[in-house]
Amino acid sequence: MARIGPVTANPYPWPYDGAVDTTRTALLCIDWQTDFCGPGGYVDAMGYDISLTRSGLPATARLLAHARSLGMLVVHTREGHDPDLADLPPNKRWRSARIGAEIGGAGPCGRILVRGEPGWEIVPEVAPTPGEVVVDKPGKGAFYATNLDLVLRTRGITHLILTGITTDVCVHTTMREANDRGYECLILADCTGATDKGNHDAALHMVTMQGGVFGCVATSDDVIAATAR
Amino acid sequence: MPTVAAARPTPYTFDIATTVLLVIDMQRDFLEPGGFGESLGNDVGQLRRTIAPLAALLAGVRAAGLTVVHTREGHLPDLSDCPPAKLHRGAPSKRIGDPGPNGRILVRGEYGHDIVDELAPLPGEPVVDKPGKGAFYATGLDALLAERGVRSLLVTGVTTEVCVHTTVREANDRGYECLVLADCVGSYFPEFQRVGLDMIAAQGGIFGWVAESTEVLAVLPSTTMSQPSS
Repeated sequence: MARIGPVTANPYPWPYDGAVDTTRTALLCIDWQTDFCGPGGYVDAMGYDISLTRSGLPATARLLAHARSLGMLVVHTREGHDPDLADLPPNKRWRSARIGAEIGGAGPCGRILVRGEPGWEIVPEVAPTPGEVVVDKPGKGAFYATNLDLVLRTRGITHLILTGITTDVCVHTTMREANDRGYECLILADCTGATDKGNHDAALHMVTMQGGVFGCVATSDDVIAATAR
Repeated sequence: MPTVAAARPTPYTFDIATTVLLVIDMQRDFLEPGGFGESLGNDVGQLRRTIAPLAALLAGVRAAGLTVVHTREGHLPDLSDCPPAKLHRGAPSKRIGDPGPNGRILVRGEYGHDIVDELAPLPGEPVVDKPGKGAFYATGLDALLAERGVRSLLVTGVTTEVCVHTTVREANDRGYECLVLADCVGSYFPEFQRVGLDMIAAQGGIFGWVAESTEVLAVLPSTTMSQPSS
């Protein structure tokens, strides 16, 4: 059985309990969806620089292969809504319309953030393999109104390694939810990204304050180096 | 309905009948000189500057008839609701449950766990005890708000980037409209105060709105509206 830890991390060697079996650790891949980071997705179509949200893809793909080789649980998440938008809060819809990307409206890759549309799919670089868990979430956090907590507890997962986009929005919200639920979290600086580099850096910095208020920050290489079979 | 025109990123309109003032974790352990927060090397002055504007806001919203909900972070005396990862992480000088200057640190019922005198809850005002940073997880807050038909939250308290941000993120995913009051939220770190508020209003208000408490007070009715007689 493989173990991870201690990982060279900030502000303490992760995890807090020294090392953890890979059977108790899950790799979370948050919202690597075409609309957020794929060529032709709506972020791309709106004229934003998707190199910022794509920057974590190569490292995440490498770590994903590593996690799969160890038999670790991999969980992918997708932000999106039912086609009838019954699970879309009105203020979220209003705000998305205001910035020119109304959820449910026509986008360059199908209806924006609607389940089943091409733009809502995960990009090929980090696509789920058959049998991997995929959690569909209506919010920024992956725990609210989803079965994620149940899936993780049923598998005996106690430790989470977080990758995905964007650092300050969906990844941070999910890390905060996980932390309150008692999961020991590690966020990877090279496997995340944000539409604003300053917010990416600030979000990572926030994690490290007060002794690791939400957990720790490291890189994918730190995790791979700290894995022993 | 009152509108806070200067809110960013857009004017914020709320209905008095479906809005509450949320006051997050204004506890002695975090705010008092000589308390737990200061013992960790933090400058409590950064948090204490919120007390005066928050006291004025409390008076105004009570007069206008809004419900006030207070929260406190803390754990049961036997720490059975404190996750091991929270209790044992890192190497702090003091841990949750250790004896502190105002009783056991972050333990319910201790003097330091309670809210500062200036902002003490009035009899009948709900006080939500929470084991985490977010006020929705493992608490009755969502049910309490639903029972009252609440849709909008005026959010105040400490600290901006930790408990305030986590709670606003939870509330936003649940469909509540959050207005965070910049002068009534505080962080030990000025940089996180600035960036924490910026993140709320970024991307078209991805988590909500930001304004000053004086801008809310200016649009509140001074007394509860009386029912029209027929």
